[in-house]
Amino acid sequence: MCRSVILWVLLCTSVAAHEMTPTYPKWSVTQIEGVHKTTMRMFNKREDVKYYEIGVFDKEWQPIPFVTDYKILKLDYLSHVKFDVYISSKNVGRAEYICSLSKLRGSKETKTMIASKICSRFK
Amino acid sequence: MNKLLLTALVLGLAGCSLFSSKVEANANITGSVESRCIVNTDTPGVYGNPNAYTLTTTPASGGQKPIVRFDVSLANAYYAQVSYPTSFSSSPSLSDTVAWTGAVAVSQSSGSDFDGYQTASTTTGALRQYAMAHAGTLWVDVQSEATYGGGQQKAFPGGNYTAVVVAECVAQ
Repeated sequence: MCRSVILWVLLCTSVAAHEMTPTYPKWSVTQIEGVHKTTMRMFNKREDVKYYEIGVFDKEWQPIPFVTDYKILKLDYLSHVKFDVYISSKNVGRAEYICSLSKLRGSKETKTMIASKICSRFK
Repeated sequence: MNKLLLTALVLGLAGCSLFSSKVEANANITGSVESRCIVNTDTPGVYGNPNAYTLTTTPASGGQKPIVRFDVSLANAYYAQVSYPTSFSSSPSLSDTVAWTGAVAVSQSSGSDFDGYQTASTTTGALRQYAMAHAGTLWVDVQSEATYGGGQQKAFPGGNYTAVVVAECVAQ
């Protein structure tokens, strides 16, 4: 019980976080023959990041062609977005991961920056 | 009779309008509790410059280790992966080689369930992978060091240097 409370507090007080769900998305058919789609949600709690790049990959992390409104999504600080990803039906079986990667701005300081990446998996 | 019908109609309409205004006043708040992994960038790193040819995140040398936090809400659903840098993302023009070293280590966790995570983790090059077999929080820090001159201890050219640590949550 105590651990759950601590986890909830941590989840609710994240300072700079990147989040994408669902963990295990599913492809669904569309009205267009030969095209499947899935819907993902993202939340940006990183003040230093405004753009996230979407990618679809196979088991070997090779990129698979896909279509979204924007391949690089603009997501303001503390904003949620729901986006659809379309893929050719012939690639549905190959697609293993769908990922979002934070796009970092250049810096004028001597430092390390942290790129965050979240990958959901098609099972 | 007509008067009675008219009264009933008026009362009915008034009731409907009251009902509909009540519906419109509702503001729904939706949410979901589901499996998720959140990547938190708790502490950005800083390179210290203890001598002319070294940049390091070691605190004793004036650096600061970047710290990444992973919040996982479901056991056995994600791998947490962190890679230390092996190149600069921005720097002055460098004519000589840079040797990179680094390490990724668990610095803190939300419970004793995570005690064996560092030992159980696997590495591939600069990447260290933790199988998140428990729900909870894991803090990981990153040590990074760059040495200039290909063993000749040449001085880094003046300017700003930036390198990128990659923190990933990959669904299992």
